Amino acid sequence: MALLEVQNITKRFGGLTAVSNFSLSMEKGEIVALIGPNGAGKTTAFNVIAGYYKADDGKVIFNDRNVTNKRPDQICAQGLVRTFQVVRPFRGLTVLENVMIGAYARTNNRHAAKDKAREVLDFLGMNKLSDQYANGLPIAGRKRLEIARALATDPKVMLLDETMAGLRPLETDEVIGMVRKVSEKGVAIFLVEHVMKVVMSLADRIIVLHHGETIAQGIPADVVQNQQVIDAYLGEANATG
Amino acid sequence: MSAEATNNITKRPSRSLWHTLFGDWDRTQITVSVILVVLMAIAPFFIDSPYFLGIIILAALYAFIGISWNIVAGFTGQLLIAHIIFLALGGYTTIVLLNVYRISPWVGIFIGGIVAALAGIVIALITLRYGLKLDYFALFTIALLVALRTLFLKWDFVGGAVGMYLRLANPSTAKMIFDTKPPYLYIALGLLVIGIVIQYLVYNSKMGKYFMAIREDEAAASALGVNTSRYKTLSVIIGAGLAGIGGGFYVMYVTFIDPTGLFNLGVNVEIVMAGPIIGGLGSLAGPILGALVNKPIAELIRGFLAGERSGITLIVYGLFLVTSIMFMPRGLAGVFQTLYMKIKRPSRDDV
Repeated sequence: MALLEVQNITKRFGGLTAVSNFSLSMEKGEIVALIGPNGAGKTTAFNVIAGYYKADDGKVIFNDRNVTNKRPDQICAQGLVRTFQVVRPFRGLTVLENVMIGAYARTNNRHAAKDKAREVLDFLGMNKLSDQYANGLPIAGRKRLEIARALATDPKVMLLDETMAGLRPLETDEVIGMVRKVSEKGVAIFLVEHVMKVVMSLADRIIVLHHGETIAQGIPADVVQNQQVIDAYLGEANATG
Repeated sequence: MSAEATNNITKRPSRSLWHTLFGDWDRTQITVSVILVVLMAIAPFFIDSPYFLGIIILAALYAFIGISWNIVAGFTGQLLIAHIIFLALGGYTTIVLLNVYRISPWVGIFIGGIVAALAGIVIALITLRYGLKLDYFALFTIALLVALRTLFLKWDFVGGAVGMYLRLANPSTAKMIFDTKPPYLYIALGLLVIGIVIQYLVYNSKMGKYFMAIREDEAAASALGVNTSRYKTLSVIIGAGLAGIGGGFYVMYVTFIDPTGLFNLGVNVEIVMAGPIIGGLGSLAGPILGALVNKPIAELIRGFLAGERSGITLIVYGLFLVTSIMFMPRGLAGVFQTLYMKIKRPSRDDV
């Protein structure tokens, strides 16, 4: 069985079906992108998988365990971690302490957590920021901190929710590099993204959501040629690129 | 500054001592706390007045109680406004055990702590069960305080509205009854040292960091594996337990307890909240710095103005609190931390 198996999850808010019959199967080290117009249900799908919303239907099987409707911290303990679209740094703590909180997911020892946090910051080239308070970081720094914190929990799968939104092109390239590095460690990455450049350069596979329904999925080159996807999301101008 | 200068010349030995005591802001806060405790401990050698010693005793006790609230409200960010509930429960437990069951307060105040901690568990479970957070959590604790006051006013076993008095016997160490102030001072300081140690251990542990993660952002904390319900409950248990112990000693010191005196939000502000807020909520030294400013100033205002129109002391004390929050939003500890960073920065470049 695949590392992460999402089977037909459905989430309704009152009369609105935000996500319907969403399925996904991911293997170790794979990068899958979820795209679609605003309100398509991308973040909702994320929230169901990561345990923030209860699914009305369907199952999430992770690492051969049924984690459907488990709490986020239990899911994180299993090795599935998410970041937030609107970054949520622990502002009053330093960058190192922020990352240590992630590291504590796997140890109770302060020194072990500190070592792990340093190792992650080194790996991502952020060691110079260690002693800075998170509320002093610019937006790009906060986005990178989200990834660092998540990586410190030693995940098998990482869900990245619009990590590149609001970044300048140069910063975007930096973060793309970070995501590649994380992926090369064998971490599977499932990302929601609007920036097509990011999607095209990172994703092994793409899933397209529209009004909660999966309208297309496959390798990037095929998906961007799909007429339904062009109509719903990309528009003609992007179809070539 | 002079210490820093010598530090640069003499190198290793003094640098390591300097580093141990003032190497970073956390160490500095602990060093300052220890110095303040020592100063209070030697006070009886210089001060004879029971009145002034009484102020120091209560300042030490308020610092301990402030620490108990700091762990819940400062570290974890839970708005446990009516924290004085735990003080009252610890106090009542201690005095009932002594008066009715003849159990020594040396044991009684710790049983009081356990009773308060159990009450803390109940409060945490109810509020978590019904998802009461932030302001709703605060309102719940205030409502509980009012309900408990009514209950204790009607409860004859604990003296109803009259409350309970310590049967003043001959001074006896076993009953924690003394005819001079210094023994009370050393008990209060003993508690304060326990409080400082526990607070530091919590602060530096995984638990403490999880508390702070919850304070900063609960959703982000849970994404990173923090069982927020469990850690919020733990912080209430620790805070409540320490407050219960403080309440037990408080009653032994003031020798009586009554419902309107302790199930009282105004008293709650003075005993529990003012210290950590003036000193710096969430910091290590804040509760101690704050108590040492708060208690004497409250006493001073009372001393000068109590004879004037009724209520004027409360107005002036309130103004004092408001201005201190306005000008020091992060408290005295925040002001000192800024200074410390300014002094330290150049020396870091040298290394």
